[in-house]
Amino acid sequence: MKHLLFLFCSIVTVTTLAQNNAIAPGEKLMYTASYNMSGILTDIAEVTMETSEVKTSKATLLRLKCTATTYSKWDNFFKIVDLYESYVNPNSLTPYLHKRDINEGSYYKYMKYTFDHKTNTIKSIQRKKNNQEENKNFSFNSGTKDIVSTLYNIRLFNYQNMNIGSKKSFTIVFDREEVKAQITYLGKETLDTKIGKMACYKLAISSSENVLQGQNNNLIWLTADNNKVIVYGKFKIPVGNGELKIKSAQGLKN
Amino acid sequence: MKRLFTILAIIMAVLATILSVLPLSNLAFFPALAALIFASMAYFLSKKSGDPKKIIHFIFLLSIISLVLSTYKAMFTETEVTNTEELKAKEKESKEDALEDLEELDLGDISIN
Repeated sequence: MKHLLFLFCSIVTVTTLAQNNAIAPGEKLMYTASYNMSGILTDIAEVTMETSEVKTSKATLLRLKCTATTYSKWDNFFKIVDLYESYVNPNSLTPYLHKRDINEGSYYKYMKYTFDHKTNTIKSIQRKKNNQEENKNFSFNSGTKDIVSTLYNIRLFNYQNMNIGSKKSFTIVFDREEVKAQITYLGKETLDTKIGKMACYKLAISSSENVLQGQNNNLIWLTADNNKVIVYGKFKIPVGNGELKIKSAQGLKN
Repeated sequence: MKRLFTILAIIMAVLATILSVLPLSNLAFFPALAALIFASMAYFLSKKSGDPKKIIHFIFLLSIISLVLSTYKAMFTETEVTNTEELKAKEKESKEDALEDLEELDLGDISIN
């Protein structure tokens, strides 16, 4: 019960206090993803995170788009063209629509979540290579976000007043299941990146599922300024480990 | 012993040559260096016994070619994405679909301007 209460409080705190003062429309971050092959890091793909404004007849939303494409030299061996999108409230990054279209080698999967925050239900559509469509509605807990809006939401936390070892919990909906995840603040470090020498917040990410391996094996570094841009990441997944390094950053808010 | 080193050197040199022409060229350094070490040992033993060293010269040649090729690729090959058309088309289609979906959503009571 105590744990449940703690989790509830952290989610409420995270959702109510997190106001977007770090992300603006028109921001474009480009990364190089490398994979560790027998101890040698090999550049595999280019990852782009981009934001833009989307206007409907009722509201203006923020479109968060993440793409991953393999470098051309890999295309004949293993081609990846992934598109992740979220349409969110520009102030709180609350998601309304999330889409995932992944094309990796011979594997294809399309997933769409439509969030209904009044009834706390998600209407999902899943499509696979054989074009078979599967619709499923399921409920979600208040504060749950999709993977893309979570990635951006991490940038809204206030790390300045956090003590080393402090944790923040959040829930991500992935493959129509809610996954509990946690970030641990590990302190400040200065990194030499492609966009300059930056003071960074070092964070460890862990999840309740086996997607991310180990306690402090999945690390990200966010710039210790108002933009809190992810500049470097180290990850360990069941099929190996790799890195994510920033290549360029444009259209930053601050 | 000389025969074992020669066989190992041949295997490593062939592996290094294959890897160096693939996108995995960074991995060719290990077998190429191993081939050079084994070939050097085989060369030393052949020299001692006065046996022919033609095959060993060939192994050296293969290893050096794969090392040069891998180094060149590591230093001068630009990693870039050229197949952007597919992704752009996917993005465009996805945004159009999303706009239709968003129009159907009830966003009226949410304070978004």
